[in-house]
Amino acid sequence: MSYIILPDVVHYACTCGILKPISKLYFCRHCLELRCGFCVCHEADSHYCDKCAENLPSSEARLKKNRCGNCFDCPSCHQQLSTRAATVGPKNPDDPKAAPRKVFYLLCLLCRWSSRDVGIPDQAAVSGGWPERENIYAHRLQEIQDMYKAIVLSDKQQKLDKDKKKQRRYMSFTDRTGITASMLRKRIGWPDVPNPLLKAKPTELNNKAIAKEEVEEFPEDLLTSPVNLSLATTMEQRLVQPEWQPTTIDKLFPIHKHLSVKRSQRCRSCEHNVSKPEYNPNSIKFKIQLFAYYHIPEVRIITVEPLRAGKVSELLLKFSNPTQHQTSITLFPYKVDDVIACEDNRTEVISQSSEEKGSGSQPSSITHTSLTRQPSITIKPRPIKTRVVADVVVPNASFVLPPRDDAAEYDDSGDAHNIQNDPKIVVWRKSNKAVIKLQVTPNSDLNIGDEVTTAFTIQHIYINTITTVENKEPQKCEHKVKVFLTLGNLVGGS
Amino acid sequence: MPIYEGIGTITDKLVVVMDIGAAYTKLGFSGEFAPRCIIKSEVLCKESGIMRNIRDYKDKEDLYDLLVDFVHVLYFKYALLSPKDRPVVVVESLLCPTIFRETLAKVLFCHYKVPVLLVVPSHLVCLATLAIDTALVLDIGFSEAIAIPVCHGVPVIHAWQALPLASQAVHDNLRTALATHNTGVTLSDWNLEDVKVRCCFVTPQKRSIEFQKSTPNLTPCPEVKYPLQGSNSIIIPGKVRETMFELFFEEDNDHQCLSTMILDAILKVNVDLRLQLAENIFLVGGTVMTPGFKARLKEELYQQLNNERYSKLKIKTFKFHSPPCKDNYTAWLGGAIYGCTELLSMKGLSRETYLKENRLPDWANMKDNLRTL
Ligand SMILES: [Zn+2]
Ligand SMILES: [Zn+2]
Ligand SMILES: [Zn+2]
Ligand SMILES: [Zn+2]
Repeated sequence: MSYIILPDVVHYACTCGILKPISKLYFCRHCLELRCGFCVCHEADSHYCDKCAENLPSSEARLKKNRCGNCFDCPSCHQQLSTRAATVGPKNPDDPKAAPRKVFYLLCLLCRWSSRDVGIPDQAAVSGGWPERENIYAHRLQEIQDMYKAIVLSDKQQKLDKDKKKQRRYMSFTDRTGITASMLRKRIGWPDVPNPLLKAKPTELNNKAIAKEEVEEFPEDLLTSPVNLSLATTMEQRLVQPEWQPTTIDKLFPIHKHLSVKRSQRCRSCEHNVSKPEYNPNSIKFKIQLFAYYHIPEVRIITVEPLRAGKVSELLLKFSNPTQHQTSITLFPYKVDDVIACEDNRTEVISQSSEEKGSGSQPSSITHTSLTRQPSITIKPRPIKTRVVADVVVPNASFVLPPRDDAAEYDDSGDAHNIQNDPKIVVWRKSNKAVIKLQVTPNSDLNIGDEVTTAFTIQHIYINTITTVENKEPQKCEHKVKVFLTLGNLVGGS
Repeated sequence: MPIYEGIGTITDKLVVVMDIGAAYTKLGFSGEFAPRCIIKSEVLCKESGIMRNIRDYKDKEDLYDLLVDFVHVLYFKYALLSPKDRPVVVVESLLCPTIFRETLAKVLFCHYKVPVLLVVPSHLVCLATLAIDTALVLDIGFSEAIAIPVCHGVPVIHAWQALPLASQAVHDNLRTALATHNTGVTLSDWNLEDVKVRCCFVTPQKRSIEFQKSTPNLTPCPEVKYPLQGSNSIIIPGKVRETMFELFFEEDNDHQCLSTMILDAILKVNVDLRLQLAENIFLVGGTVMTPGFKARLKEELYQQLNNERYSKLKIKTFKFHSPPCKDNYTAWLGGAIYGCTELLSMKGLSRETYLKENRLPDWANMKDNLRTL
């Protein structure tokens, strides 16, 4: 989502330790924590073609190899191909009554590539029935694949039988070097990924490929004939068709358009969705959209006086409350986290079983997560690396932000909320917004031109309207979030 | 595209197969005969807005972030499925740095909650495409050429040979050569690769020898006028077109080049297997698709047999395999064949095990083993 106040100079610290603008953050209402694209779990929701907007069930998408059956891309420039109609003479030109026929071909409106260029016959129907190409090795590869499947399966069966009967060890094939493969493997520290062929029955080995003395001959005409670059395909044109990788443009074939996928995002700790789009590809709406923008007070920089090392500058910030409930905001000075040492990688990943989580404070979420019995992983938040080089004097008192009222946007009658302002802090106020005056002092060891970043912690009252079995009433919670402000560069003089 | 191929396999478990190469990544599903996509191994860096290759990482954490972004693209732009419930087969080079493989495993297990991971070595699995178990595999990728003999399904690691003779070396060579012929023109990496792919080839041995003389008695192949942006263009001389790959066959100070790599690898293997390996040479990797490459390598191999150090090999003939696919995804295809067998359930590393032990099985220490052997 691009945001109306670029460049992004206000960043919020996500729970995972990454700094992002508020437009890129989610707010899980179940854990009451910020989440971002990095620390949520992405899931593929629904497949669709972004040209014809057809929605495909995932099984069908899988069957069609994630490609649209009707739309094609240009093999030359990868733009979409259009279907073009042409009129040709009737099948039987001698018959005066025969009507002319319509035929269809594919044309790229960008680079003018056409299906006629490569000799694909025109089709009688709009939807085509365009010829599909086969992998010429498909038969051979299917044979090999079936053979490998069968060998490994019988090997597995043998192992199972062996385990059952607890008999003496299975005679492994001895290779001609005189030591067994597994001995060799142990000696060289090689993984025990066995080659299935070792356990093959002799009859199965007729499939072996035969090496030949001949290799591809040197194409002598390369030495004499001039190169026409426009006939040789580029690497992109080759790789977009991995199976064929045409080297000359006369072998380019239309490409079925690749599908796109709608994604939903899930909170990693409670497994609730923080974002879920509507199924219909034409819809840009969401079923669930727990964007931080709708829940966390937004901070914008109004003005800041020129920043000088060691000197106090006045900073005006606008806070707005996006929720339907009145909130109260308290600022705290930023302090570097109690340095959760992340040096030891082993402690970085903490695994918990879902049973352990059952004793946690979120019984409502457990009933949902118990469906998936995988141990959940919490990745420890990384330390915030951004250097804070200016101090902010935060006011001791807190201030109130009224709820958001869309109608008030059009109402100029003034402040209806009768809020007692502390004029030292709040300099301006309108509906759910307030401008706060702060004092910022860049560190005295900064040089002219250095970027000045400051930070503080916001605590706001969040009304959690999610009701659980125990809590039928909306709950008041205090939520804290660290905010980083990039104020600009240090200037000289006084 | 055979769009309805494999209807019978719809009930099978969908296994993601990935081969993350130095330049290109191959991604697809087990049971299929070609990768769904071959894309550059790079991601858009959000801070700087430039594309970064995932091998150009600064440290472990940087690599972790790069891989998180890259795997996200693989799943949600190409594979179009949730990583959570799909087993993954990773095809990996034998010389893959430990930090890379461990970070990749961590990304897949911890960030993407992949349930099962099977890591297979590329030199071994590419033989599955041929249904053979003994061959000398020479993989020429982007940064290096690696030759490893595989005997009866076991890669003979102590015989490995690796040289930085691959795409990257050709690109550097080409950059220098074109700079001397066209002063003041700097070509992007994209241009270099494009010139290499569309204009250059491997010339036969007799012409190569002639080129090395002070007054070559031959006509070089026609030059190419290669267009750049706008009306600019550069001339690619015929000699450049023919000789860019010569560095593969020129012996370095240690008398090593592509052909000696193959023969040295064979030399390090038990006498009984040497002839069999010479008659089962398998060339894989994108670079071997260059026109004329295979023919030239064959010539060079026979030439080396006259050399004293290889006379004891008593090799009379070399035989080459051609895979049922394009050379640049042979290893991926091998992984896809392994991925549709029960090996995944037998040998795959499950997420539970990984989280319990917090590491990959010990064969990561392959390099330590190499030193002691
Ligand atoms: Zn986050
Ligand atoms: Zn479509
Ligand atoms: Zn086009
Ligand atoms: Zn949550």
